[in-house]
Amino acid sequence: MKLEVRDQRSEIRRKILSSLLCLLISVFCLLSTAGCGPTYPKEKFKESIIRLCKKEYSLDVKVKTVGKTVAIYLPLTNLLDFTFALTTDAGEKINQVILNVTRVVLSTDAEYDFYCVMAHDVRIPEIQIVIIKSVEDVRRFLLGDISRGEYGKRMLIDMRIAPQAQKERAIKDVFDRMSIDKKWQEGVMQDFFMSDPATLGDIGYWAGKFYIKDINLPEFLAEEIASRIRLSFRDNKELNDSLILKSAKGIYAAGVQNGGSRYFKIEISAEPRTIEASTSKEASDKLFGYALKTSYDVIHGYNFKDFDYVEIRSLTDGRASKVLKEDLDNYKPKNTKIEDVMVFDSF
Amino acid sequence: MLPQKFMIWKMYFKLYRVRILIALSVLLLIAASIWGMMSLESFYRNQTLAMMPLQLIMVALNALIFVYMYMNLFSTRWGSASKNTRMKSDLVNVKWSDVIGLDAAKIEAWEVVQLIKDRAKVKQIGGKIVKGLLMLGPPGCGKTYLAKAIATEAGIPFLSMASSEFVEMFVGVGASRVRQLFKKARELAAGYGGCIVFLDELDAIGRNRTFSQFGGQETNSTQNQLLVQIDGLQEKEENVIIIAATNAPEDTLDPALLRPGRFDRKIYIDKPNLEERERIFAFYFSKVKYDKSLDIKRLSRKAVYKTPADIENIVKESALIAARDDKEVVEFKHVSEAIERIDMGLKHRRSLVPKEKELIAWHEAGHVVVLYLLHPTKDVFKASIIGRRDALGVTHENPREEWFTHSKEVLLADIKTLLAGYVTERMRFGTTSDGVSSDFKHAMVIAHSMVWSLGMSVAGLVGDYSLYGSPGHASELAESVKEQLNMETQGILQKCLKDVDDLLKKEWKITEHIANELLAKEELEYDEIDAIFKDYGKIQTKS
Repeated sequence: MKLEVRDQRSEIRRKILSSLLCLLISVFCLLSTAGCGPTYPKEKFKESIIRLCKKEYSLDVKVKTVGKTVAIYLPLTNLLDFTFALTTDAGEKINQVILNVTRVVLSTDAEYDFYCVMAHDVRIPEIQIVIIKSVEDVRRFLLGDISRGEYGKRMLIDMRIAPQAQKERAIKDVFDRMSIDKKWQEGVMQDFFMSDPATLGDIGYWAGKFYIKDINLPEFLAEEIASRIRLSFRDNKELNDSLILKSAKGIYAAGVQNGGSRYFKIEISAEPRTIEASTSKEASDKLFGYALKTSYDVIHGYNFKDFDYVEIRSLTDGRASKVLKEDLDNYKPKNTKIEDVMVFDSF
Repeated sequence: MLPQKFMIWKMYFKLYRVRILIALSVLLLIAASIWGMMSLESFYRNQTLAMMPLQLIMVALNALIFVYMYMNLFSTRWGSASKNTRMKSDLVNVKWSDVIGLDAAKIEAWEVVQLIKDRAKVKQIGGKIVKGLLMLGPPGCGKTYLAKAIATEAGIPFLSMASSEFVEMFVGVGASRVRQLFKKARELAAGYGGCIVFLDELDAIGRNRTFSQFGGQETNSTQNQLLVQIDGLQEKEENVIIIAATNAPEDTLDPALLRPGRFDRKIYIDKPNLEERERIFAFYFSKVKYDKSLDIKRLSRKAVYKTPADIENIVKESALIAARDDKEVVEFKHVSEAIERIDMGLKHRRSLVPKEKELIAWHEAGHVVVLYLLHPTKDVFKASIIGRRDALGVTHENPREEWFTHSKEVLLADIKTLLAGYVTERMRFGTTSDGVSSDFKHAMVIAHSMVWSLGMSVAGLVGDYSLYGSPGHASELAESVKEQLNMETQGILQKCLKDVDDLLKKEWKITEHIANELLAKEELEYDEIDAIFKDYGKIQTKS
């Protein structure tokens, strides 16, 4: 009898231990495997953004993807106030959309390099805000790899009249004067003037249609250089005191039509605040120096290598300078004199 | 009636409920953390997972730093017995012949050595193996020395540890160290055929256990572990002997330690007698160069109540003094100075005004005369008016032989000797100083004790009245009795005062002579004092 009881005890002890062990292993496996996949799978990528915006902020957005670029359209009713400044409410909503897009883009298995948030006021659809961000920049910022200030400089924010609206208005005017039938007007418009955008400046949303292109890194960098130069005129007192910025534009050119060269072209139009010749020259040098430093910061910041030179042009005085990639690599903003890397020419 | 299987399940749940609850809690925690991770978006989840190895390294590093600092700040050896505890018997290197004196103790200890050496023989006869040996006695009498000699003689490893090393602020650490020490001893015994574990100052963990909620648990648990380990030695076959030493009285140790089967044998090691002191002096003098005319017997008589450690110290100090005096050999005066330095402290010369110096010289002269002429058991060792410690002058006395009891006559002589300074000051200067405060204090203590505790009052009051001073009993003593006792105390002091007064009046010339000699020489040795008395025809006729 004693032996029997002992057998029963050992059997129960074994059962307790084995059931606890099984439970532990199964819970561990079940829970850990269930949480391994991406939160927003690529099949449901667009729906995820739309659902999140609707669920969390009651915002109705539209999403379109082209290549590795995501475009999100946010219609608003109060984008601008009577001074044509962005309203607080609109700013908050745009930030909410950016937050949701960031979450989805970072936690998906779909590969996207850029996203572009476009917001416009439904009352005046011609005016829109376009924000373009590199997904890698967002990731680096969240991982603490770049500072908040640097992150702010790496996004492209532009408030503009939709280029498609400008074109449409101009062409319609011509068609009306030519008394072309409305039916034909639509067809011609779609075929010739509502084509996909070629540059970042053409990106927008007009008449229920996305005008979006697959953004690539070099063109983004070129635009970022121009954007930083524009920003510096706002923030840098020394620059702002001596020059008035008219425009700054950055493009990246590559291909056969450019003779096989790959280069950044930065065009700046800035006039001196005073008219003395000596001051003008000095201010122009300063502008070139600043443009060079900004180009260096951006290109090195992204460790971008796929270019031969950077060309900086001043549209005001017709001066231009090419800085070769090797010279830019050796450039040290604090120690290198501008004359050592820049040879000026005129165009 | 519930089925037996259910009862067993229930029993197992009761037996292992803590473990089951811990296991379920761990499961719950794991599930909760996985659930938490799942609720994160994959980017943040990956970020958290990516941080985990770094966090683990940081946590481990923090823990290491904490443990390192903890070990260095609070404990030098955490959880393990000292690495320095083990000594090989040949490194102990204390031979049996080096243990001088302690004859009775050596006989007892020798038996233990024999047991260690020939364990099989004892077992064959059926004798019980002695596992514990407890050495009791005052400090410096050679307990550790004897233990080392046992280890050398037995030729087995010797693990020595002070019991205070077991004591820690954390409960369980001491017990853990005891376990480790005995584990090590067993391992060594297995390899070398035996091992001695020596615990010095056993009272640190062997005091009577306290069963209080306000502390003492650590000492209790350490002692409990020691008891368990000693019992374990009985059960196992390893030849491990535990020797412990303590200065504490036997009754302060826990009875559980002292019962048969634990420390089976107790050896009382007392201060050496005259003959043993002589041998000890001879032993230590054999290690230094000394004047062959130096009377070791006389030195032994001077060193009454001195322990072997004291004697060793005296010889070492003598050698140092001799070297400082640029002498080749140790002479008697060097030994005398060494004893004086050890007993009385270093001299420090204060600049005294002549009047004060004279007062001190007369005060000490009074002590010398009464001590020399009246005290039945003590000699004057030295009189000095050179300051030492707090005293401006001192009359150093020396017992002639060991006395473990004190008769009424001896106590009265002590009081008279103490009062002599006061009487001399009064007789010579017509006034007295506060230099008598210490003398009065000691005289009063002796007189009070004689009357209140020892039944030595003139009126014949018998019993220990000091018991009435204990809390709760003070009111039981009648005021009239208390008054009578105090009167008796004062009576003894007055009677002694009168006797001293009579004696000093009678021997005033000797007192004056000694005072003048002290003023001239500042210090007088026994021989010089003895010569003065002999000049006046006074020969000591003491027992």
